[in-house]
Amino acid sequence: MAQGSRQYFAVAILMCAFVSINGVGLNDLLDRASQLSDKLHYLSTSLTNDLDSHFPPIGRGMMPRPSLCHTSSLQIPNDKDQAMKVPEDELLSLARSLLLAWSDPLALLSSEASSLAHPERNTINSKTKELQDNINSLGAGLEHVVHKMGSSSDNLSTLPFNGNNLGQDKTSRLVNFHFLLSCFRRDSHKIDSFLKVLRCRAAKKRPDMC
Amino acid sequence: MAHSLSLRLLYLGLMCGKGLVFAQGSELFSQASDANKGPHLTGCRSSEQVTFRCWWSSGTFQNLSEPGALRIFYQTKALSSDWYECPDYTQTVKNECYFNKTFTRIWTSYCIQLRSVPQNTTYDEACFTVENIVYPDPPVGLNWTLLNVSRSGLHFDVLVRWTPPPSADVKTGWMSLVYQLQYRVKNNTYWEMQELESGTQQSIYGLHTDKEYEVRVRCKMSAFNNFGEFSDSVFLQVAQIPSKESTFPMALVLSFILIGVVILLIFIVISQQQRLMVIFLPPIPAPKIKGIDPELLKNGKLDQLDSLLSSHDMYKPDFYHEDPWVEFIQLDIDDPADKKNSDTQHLLGLSHSGSSHNLNLKNDDDSGRASCYDPEIPDPEDLASLLHNHSEQGEHQHSLVSRSSSANPDFQQESEVVETPIQTQPSWVNMDFYAQVSDFTPAGEVMLSPGQLNTSPEKKKKEEENEKKIQFQLVSDGAYTSETTARQFSADVPSSPGPEQEYQAFPTQGVEGNLWNGDYLVSVNDSQTPYLLLEPPPAPVLPPISDYTVAEPPSKSSFIAAYGLSAQPR
Repeated sequence: MAQGSRQYFAVAILMCAFVSINGVGLNDLLDRASQLSDKLHYLSTSLTNDLDSHFPPIGRGMMPRPSLCHTSSLQIPNDKDQAMKVPEDELLSLARSLLLAWSDPLALLSSEASSLAHPERNTINSKTKELQDNINSLGAGLEHVVHKMGSSSDNLSTLPFNGNNLGQDKTSRLVNFHFLLSCFRRDSHKIDSFLKVLRCRAAKKRPDMC
Repeated sequence: MAHSLSLRLLYLGLMCGKGLVFAQGSELFSQASDANKGPHLTGCRSSEQVTFRCWWSSGTFQNLSEPGALRIFYQTKALSSDWYECPDYTQTVKNECYFNKTFTRIWTSYCIQLRSVPQNTTYDEACFTVENIVYPDPPVGLNWTLLNVSRSGLHFDVLVRWTPPPSADVKTGWMSLVYQLQYRVKNNTYWEMQELESGTQQSIYGLHTDKEYEVRVRCKMSAFNNFGEFSDSVFLQVAQIPSKESTFPMALVLSFILIGVVILLIFIVISQQQRLMVIFLPPIPAPKIKGIDPELLKNGKLDQLDSLLSSHDMYKPDFYHEDPWVEFIQLDIDDPADKKNSDTQHLLGLSHSGSSHNLNLKNDDDSGRASCYDPEIPDPEDLASLLHNHSEQGEHQHSLVSRSSSANPDFQQESEVVETPIQTQPSWVNMDFYAQVSDFTPAGEVMLSPGQLNTSPEKKKKEEENEKKIQFQLVSDGAYTSETTARQFSADVPSSPGPEQEYQAFPTQGVEGNLWNGDYLVSVNDSQTPYLLLEPPPAPVLPPISDYTVAEPPSKSSFIAAYGLSAQPR
């Protein structure tokens, strides 16, 4: 009997420690995730700026509308009030869905970046590669956050991407590259906003973070 | 119908595509001068990412400047493709359209048109998404605190703090802002820019104390390029604190310490003057002559001085050899006849009384006084006469030799012969310190002769073998030469036949006779001593003993004699 009580006591202590550690770990994880998303957004913005520096004026007129982005069908909160009302796990799933939706298009972009008809091709290529790595690490980080929060991971929205190539001629390829990048930039901002809201919501005990 | 609808959609799409899909604020609205341009949109901005506003200008068209002539229409593709008029024209501000939070959608593209409704013309259009037109309000609550002042008092560091704009909701994480601080010297044209800061405070280092600085801050959304307006400037200045007073007492203290140290050093030098003199100026040692102790000279010990000086090889050995210093010592050559007669008489008288005693005495004398004078050694002629008497008596003398009959006449002659030279002996007497007294003059003077041999026939027998060594032994020691010579010359005699041995004493004297003839040293070759004895003494008196003198090594007393120093002949 004594041995049994002792074992029970040890297990209880271990569980307490684990829970406490996890509690602290979530804030750190979210903080790390928000930093990564911030980096992601920054990279997409700089890429866009590099592209805009030498974008042919005629291309602007031929730019597809943002509603044509493949992720526009995802239902997201449009304003602050709505965002404040969305629960954490839904915010997290939204972020993860968006992230998942962009893994394939970014692969296409990185493969097309080297042959882009643009003077800043090399910079664009390197940044696109970095973008891809960033997305992968952020996706892995969010996986951990999901496990920490204990939410189910099966309510992810699938956003299929049907593009195989950017175009036939170099101008259309450049325009499509630009369009895809602009869509991604908007979505990266969404991810960043959602994660920041999540971080501040989880760090209520520590107001200095937000 | 569908065809017209698709055409309209295409037319609308093209129209929208003309504009920029994600237009930046600056690119969205043309900034051309209003003078040459018609009505146009001047800008749309959002400050908190919740609402936004748009402004227009009528331009050169003055007839459209009254309110209501120009109207704003917007379209949000996400909701519908319809154009809606501006929800709220601001009353207080001219030509401004305000979109409140119900009409504002983030991550949604908007298209804004400026129309003149009566004429149904669209003068301008712009498309954008709200997050791209966010220009945050400036930060508020700017203040500064002094961090430190440099030791020289010329520079200082400050810490500037501010608070985010109240409109921006950073608490919930809806907006993440970054700040940029700028400062400059007052009334300067160039602003110093600091790095982007995500926090709400920043330090400035290296400011000058005597200058007034102006500091301002602005912010923007992170990862966006739209800076908001600058905050109100704050002025800061730190007065220069002269720190000279603190150094003054320090210099005074140091000078006092230095003076004290100098005084202490002087005191030490004066008190330990003698010791310091020894240390710094050591005395030069006096010159030393090797081997001579100055104390010797003081005490006047000439013996040691002599040894020291003589050992220096200053005086060559030849010196003594060459100089006939022998001549220095001159013996008085008186007529020995009187002496002899008196002595002979004495001896004879003595001999009659106790010849054996005499003999024994002589023997004893010979043994006892080997190195000394033998003043009592009887002259050879005395001895000869004594022996003659003995022979006449026909008595065997134990020690004295009994010559053969043939030798007797020789002896007789020898004695005769001997007598005469005896007289002449002292004339060239030698150099030897240990000259023996050969005879006494009636006046009491002593006649010295060179090395007399003791008349001990027994001893002569022993020394028969040393004949050859005589000369060399003469060389060895001048003081003892006479003795040795005498003995060995007696030893020479035994070269004669055996029966003559008993007569050794006489031959000895014969040898002496020869010596007196002047062949003293030459007797080395003389194995024919008897013959020598027979020889008449016509030989001139040879100058003594050049050989002898050569053999003479210098001695102390000889040195003194040579130099006329006061000395006592030994």
